[in-house]
Amino acid sequence: MTQSKGLVYIRRFVIVLAVLAIYIWAFAGLPTLELKETSIEVISAILAGIFSPDWGYVYDPGGEDLLRGLLDTVAIAILGTFIAGILCIPFAFMAANNIMKNKAVVGINKFILSFIRVFPDIVLALLFIKAVGPGEFAGVLALGIGAIGMLGKLISESIENVDLSAKEALIATGANPIKTFIFAIVPQVLPNYFSFVMYRLEVNMRAATVLGVIGAGGIGTPLIFALSVRDWERVGIILLGIIVMVTIVDIISSKVRARFT
Amino acid sequence: MKVGSILIEFKNVSKVYPNGTRGLTNIDLTIEEGEFVVIVGLSGAGKSTFLRSVNRLHEITEGEINVNNKSITKAKGKALYEIRRDIGMIFQNFNLVKRSSVMRNVLSGRVGYHSTLRMIFGLFPKHDKELALDALERVGLKDKAYVRADQLSGGQQQRVSIARALAQEAKVILADEPVASLDPLTTKQVMDDLAKINEELKITMIVNLHSVDLAKKYATRIIGLKEGKVVFDGSVSEATDKAFEQIYGKVDEENVRKRAAK
Repeated sequence: MTQSKGLVYIRRFVIVLAVLAIYIWAFAGLPTLELKETSIEVISAILAGIFSPDWGYVYDPGGEDLLRGLLDTVAIAILGTFIAGILCIPFAFMAANNIMKNKAVVGINKFILSFIRVFPDIVLALLFIKAVGPGEFAGVLALGIGAIGMLGKLISESIENVDLSAKEALIATGANPIKTFIFAIVPQVLPNYFSFVMYRLEVNMRAATVLGVIGAGGIGTPLIFALSVRDWERVGIILLGIIVMVTIVDIISSKVRARFT
Repeated sequence: MKVGSILIEFKNVSKVYPNGTRGLTNIDLTIEEGEFVVIVGLSGAGKSTFLRSVNRLHEITEGEINVNNKSITKAKGKALYEIRRDIGMIFQNFNLVKRSSVMRNVLSGRVGYHSTLRMIFGLFPKHDKELALDALERVGLKDKAYVRADQLSGGQQQRVSIARALAQEAKVILADEPVASLDPLTTKQVMDDLAKINEELKITMIVNLHSVDLAKKYATRIIGLKEGKVVFDGSVSEATDKAFEQIYGKVDEENVRKRAAK
């Protein structure tokens, strides 16, 4: 408040100057932009292909087609999410400091969960391809293990917010620890649990489309083949298929989640 | 009043908290079937500790408590669960599972009667559902059976927790400040429900209250606690103002009236 107006102006001027200097320095460091002569041609070919998709690829009774690829992708995502949804439960409870009183156990489980979260799905998929060979199974394992980190963390946080007063009431009725858990804790966590799992299914849907690119099964494999042979019509129909599939799964998932909250 | 058989027996019970504070000191008393006992005392006098040591939600450090001639102090595992099954409990904050339906909350009083496996799948026999509905009818909430518990008012939630204790078919109901978070009208309804249950079903009541008026109105026997010791134990007619003075310490009545007038 006591600052004079002049000082304020000087300070603003210095800040503007500094920002300008950073911009100039940053742009000066860029390599000179050069378009290949063929660039325009290729880009227009891509656009033309995408806007005239290869409808014949949608269904081919003989072999690999779009529908089967998409079905594979959905299967990978659902199975991966299902595995993660089950495997995350013990971690989530052991990482919740109101259920697990032993601080060391909570710490170890929180660490395991954040350790899993560090790996991007692609890295996990590459590791599993080496371990079990390329194909859908590697994709399922990558998503199944990778999602444990996020699901476990979110669920353990929702467990930590549970109201434990009902637990006392159940103990007082003569319930053993398992019954107490089923009646006092589970009903409070279940809606959030389903909601998180459905959300993760949406995330895994997108991840599963990319997994095929590195050979972990699903629609990504024909996509990368079509890209490498510059079959833009096929790329177009595959992208269209992915958009439709992801949108449908998102709509279903958000409808299901709305029912739980 | 007809003298019933002994239901709860405190044998020289003391409780010292790990930090050295004394919760209860040398409590020796018996509570008979059918009594409506009100425990009064200042906050921190050990009322809640007393109540919770009956069903062993709190451990005692010395002495022994018998419920229905069985020592709950020594009971372990299944034996402990079976003793607790005979003791219903009502809490100040209702302690319902708010996201579950009223029916499921009332049924949770029945879980002690069935195998763990059966309860994991939530398979209650038809008899239990009838018991739960009867209990709800008794507290006037039968039409709310399939409403979520958090949709009900405070007084209704407390009556659901009474229904839970009824469905449990408990021989004694412990109520820890059951009306402390309720308004005067719902307080009356809840206390009337407890009195009716005591009278009609002969279920013994042990109720913590901090209101002397309510204690005098509903109790058949008043136990006064002060700093963990029993300083008064007698019928309502014996509980004179002088007796309450002993429990609550000397009250500057003039001062209290002035404050009440404000």
